[in-house]
Amino acid sequence: MAHDMEVVNPRAGLFRVILTAYGLLIYLFLFAPIAVMILLSFNKSKVVGFPMTGFTLDWYSSLTQNMIIQDALGKSLAVGISVTVLATVIGTAAAFPLVRAHIKYRSAVRVFITLPIMIPGLLIGVAILVLSTNILHLQPSLPIAVIGQTVLATPFVILVVSSRLESLDRNFERAAADLGAGPVQRFSFVVLPLVYPGIVAAALMAFTLSLDEFVVTNFIIGSDQTLPIYIYSQLKFGITPEVNALASLMLLGTIALVVVTALGLRLIKMLTAKSRQEEKTGVPA
Amino acid sequence: MATLETATRVPDSETRPVNPRSGVARRERRNWRQYVGFTPAAIVFGIFFIAPLCLIVVYSFWQTKDYNLVPEFTTKNYETITTTDTYIKTLGKTILMALLATATTLAIAFPFCYWLVRYVPPRLQRVLFLLVILPFWTSYLLRVYAWVAILGDHGAINVLLKNLGLTDEPVRLFLYDTPGVFIVLVYLYFPFAALTLYSSLDRFDWSLLRAGVDLGASPMRSLVTILLPQMKLAMVTAGIFVFIPILGEYVAPEIVGGTNGVLMGNLIANFFKGYLLPLGSAASVLIALVILVLLVLFRKGLDTKDIYGS
Repeated sequence: MAHDMEVVNPRAGLFRVILTAYGLLIYLFLFAPIAVMILLSFNKSKVVGFPMTGFTLDWYSSLTQNMIIQDALGKSLAVGISVTVLATVIGTAAAFPLVRAHIKYRSAVRVFITLPIMIPGLLIGVAILVLSTNILHLQPSLPIAVIGQTVLATPFVILVVSSRLESLDRNFERAAADLGAGPVQRFSFVVLPLVYPGIVAAALMAFTLSLDEFVVTNFIIGSDQTLPIYIYSQLKFGITPEVNALASLMLLGTIALVVVTALGLRLIKMLTAKSRQEEKTGVPA
Repeated sequence: MATLETATRVPDSETRPVNPRSGVARRERRNWRQYVGFTPAAIVFGIFFIAPLCLIVVYSFWQTKDYNLVPEFTTKNYETITTTDTYIKTLGKTILMALLATATTLAIAFPFCYWLVRYVPPRLQRVLFLLVILPFWTSYLLRVYAWVAILGDHGAINVLLKNLGLTDEPVRLFLYDTPGVFIVLVYLYFPFAALTLYSSLDRFDWSLLRAGVDLGASPMRSLVTILLPQMKLAMVTAGIFVFIPILGEYVAPEIVGGTNGVLMGNLIANFFKGYLLPLGSAASVLIALVILVLLVLFRKGLDTKDIYGS
């Protein structure tokens, strides 16, 4: 199916070569900055730039001694976990009525929910700043940053969980109800096991979003520093490859987190399929 | 949550489409408990999203006297922005930049996604597609800053040109000026466009092209007359996802733009940092108005369900 153009077009072979070269060029464009960032984390020179003067791991080892970075990492994780919990709970709670309640203008509600994603972070950032300082009389601080990031992350959670919920066959719940399951049982034994991969994916999305959020956080965090805020402060005074080393490790950490979560979900799926098999046949598979 | 109702049975109305005029439907509509799940979201969005934005609108009509905000109605803030040469030029430049960057991003992303969907075997396709999203997991600031190391005087491109013997002096065309900002914006928002276009191309029924060719159209013609019209909506969605964030972008211009690369986002950020609240608010409202007009014009392209569902 994928190659039926070639059957009809004699020049399709050439077309294919050109397109493939083009595709690879795009990957070069996408990954050149990341490659440069990682490459320069091994550079001997204190200046982040070319040509490279030698290979060293010093910048990685000096990370372990940098208390400011470690403090920022701690704050990033604290903010990230708070935002993940808040956004996942708030978003999941909202996804249910969005899919199941009687809403006259459902698509309008959906567009409204995506607004925090659509509107530039700058506007959200300055707006929350003005509200907290002028109306609530709260100075910018870590908790305000948590709230601001929650506003950004919750729409993603709602979208992901509601799309999972939509694909859920409600006959399962009807069957459970016919078999005498109450609403709480139906929720915890039927709905939740079917929807949780969506919730986990959404939580992961919220966490990674929070970890790298700068645009909004910059305005509302005050004197505290999360990692992106620290990196920004370094950019202004000229960064050292230490920051590159930090970012390279963060990339590695994020990839590891996503891979572990994906594998974990798959493992749970396999195990439950296996135990179901055992129940059916009565023999351990 | 609907599932937490006290009734043991799932009410029919909840599981089956009901006649909207029937008694069941009327009772359902009056049942407020089904909306309870919205409460936390409504509180958070209400206080920390809607209220702040409304506040910005209000402040944009207030005045400052002796560095204090005074609740007296004025349109002076808007006049200042629309009549001051630098401000209005920056606004125009920002919109132009957003248009150009959006068009370029779409033009680059479409052939790329086409290649991914049609010429890459499915297994490899998923991996390659994941790679497109991977940059999102890298520090946004450092991805922007890396371009300084690529485009700068001692950047990768200049070192390469010098080693090839093509130039003696570093080429200063890109960095700390508008072209650099343009390149970085296309780079930053490419994945957004690719995400939307890919999911749409992935669902396209390619046998339609075959049918077009069988009916005598040239392959190119069947692409243009069959595929492109069906991609219109995806193009609009992708375009919106690139255009709108650029209107508020302030980080990329700040890092790679220099004094010539300043966009509206930088002005707004500086107004607020300098406590010029009414002026900053008015500029924000102008940006928000542009966005609002776009969203209303292209509301059909806004059904984001498909993108985040996959």
